[in-house]
Amino acid sequence: MKIYAPDGAVGPSAASLAPPPPVLAGKRIGILDNSKPNAGLLLGRMAERLAARTGASVEVVERKNAALPAPDDVLARLAEAEVVLTGSAD
Amino acid sequence: MADTSSQLLDIGSDDPEALTDRFATRGWGDGLPLVAPTPERVEAMLAGSNRDPDEVVATLPPRSGVATRRIIAINGVLAGCRPEHLEVLVAAVKALARPEVNLRGVNATTHPVAPLLIVHGEVARTAGYNSGLGAFGPGNLANAATGRALRLMLLHVAGAVPGAGDASTQGGPAKYAYCVAENLLRSPWGGYAASVGVDAPSAVTVHCGEAPHNFHDMESDQPAAILDKAASVMASLGSNNAPVSGAEFFVMLCPEHAATCAAAGWTRTHVASYLHERARMRTGDLRDAFALRAWAPWQETFGDDAGMPITEHPDNVRIVVVGGPGKHSSVIPSWGMTRSATVPVEP
Repeated sequence: MKIYAPDGAVGPSAASLAPPPPVLAGKRIGILDNSKPNAGLLLGRMAERLAARTGASVEVVERKNAALPAPDDVLARLAEAEVVLTGSAD
Repeated sequence: MADTSSQLLDIGSDDPEALTDRFATRGWGDGLPLVAPTPERVEAMLAGSNRDPDEVVATLPPRSGVATRRIIAINGVLAGCRPEHLEVLVAAVKALARPEVNLRGVNATTHPVAPLLIVHGEVARTAGYNSGLGAFGPGNLANAATGRALRLMLLHVAGAVPGAGDASTQGGPAKYAYCVAENLLRSPWGGYAASVGVDAPSAVTVHCGEAPHNFHDMESDQPAAILDKAASVMASLGSNNAPVSGAEFFVMLCPEHAATCAAAGWTRTHVASYLHERARMRTGDLRDAFALRAWAPWQETFGDDAGMPITEHPDNVRIVVVGGPGKHSSVIPSWGMTRSATVPVEP
C-alpha cells in the first residue's frame, strides 16, 4: 500500500546562528536572560568565568520574557556583542 | 496534480498495524490507530475545492513545517476527517499561524496548553459538528476527527513532538483532540465570531488554553449567583492567568445558564464585565505566589490587601454558548502568552 508522508517540506528558518569566533580574547560577551528562575545567575556566572579564562569582557546584559520573542530594541543592544549567552529552562 | 512536498511511501502490507508500526518508527502519529492516507483518500479530501492543493496555507513553528492544503488533507485523512471538514481545518491552521497566537511558545512550553478549536456558524451544522449535549466529546466524528487532525498537524508539520518540539511536563488529554462547536441556536447574544468582528457565515476560533474547568449551578435564577461560581474558578493561583495580566479566559456557558443571564437583561458584555469585576484575588497572595509576574505597571501599585482582577481587562473574558440540557458550564484558562484568533472559514 502506498501512503503520503504527513510532515511535508521544511521552510526556511527565521534566523540562523552565526559561526562562532575561533578566539574569544578581546571579544564582547552579551547575556540574554530569558527570565526563567536562576537564568540570570547561571548565565552571568558562566559569562564571568568565560571572560576570565579567555580575555573576553561581559558588555551587555538584557532580559526578555521566556515565552515571547526578544523585542527589536533588546536585539539591537545585543548586537553590540560578538558572543551572546542565552537559553535556560525551568 | 504533482506535489513535490508530499512524499509517497510504500508500506507494503494493507494491514492497519503496518501503518501504525511504520509511523511509530518515524516518530509520527498520536499513539492511536490511523486511517491510511492513500492517494485516493487524499484526492477525495481535496476534490471538494478548486483551490491549488500546493497552496501554502501557513508555515508552522518550531519545525518551520510548510502546511499546504494537501498536507492538511493528508493529516485530515489520518485523523478520520471527511471532505466537508477540510475547510474548517484549513481555517484552523491559518488561525494557529497568526502572530498573536504565538504558536512557537504554545508548542515549546512546559505547560499543558492545547489549542481549543471552536467552530462557528453554518459549517457547524452542515459538516455535522456537535454544539449541544456532550459537545466536548466523546461521540461525534466531526469534533473528534477535526480536533485530532489539528493535533496531528502540530505533531507532524509544526514538530510539536513531546520531548523535541513540545516540552509539556505532563502533557494532557486536550492534546489528543480539542474541538467543539458554538451552540448558535441557543445563544441569546448571537454568534461569538461576529462579536469579535468576524462577520462571516462560518468561522473558527483557536484559544490556546487548558482543558475545561467545570462549574455548576442548579438552583439560581439570577446571573450573579451563577457567574460568581465562574469567577471562583477563574480566580485561582493554579492557572497561568494569575501571573499574566493580559491572559484571556474563555467561559463556555451552557444554554440554560446563558438564558438565565439574558432573561435578566444581561448582554455578553455585561457577563464579561461582571466576571472581570468579580474574579479577583488578594494582591499580597498573588505577590507571595509569583515572584515572576507579567503584570501591567498599574497592577504593581496595588496594596497587598487590595483585590486584584485576575485579568486586567473585561475584553479578556470571552463568552461562548456551548452544550445541551443541564446546568454545567466551564472556564478555559489561557496558557498566558497567547491571544485567541478568529478567522473565517472559506466557502
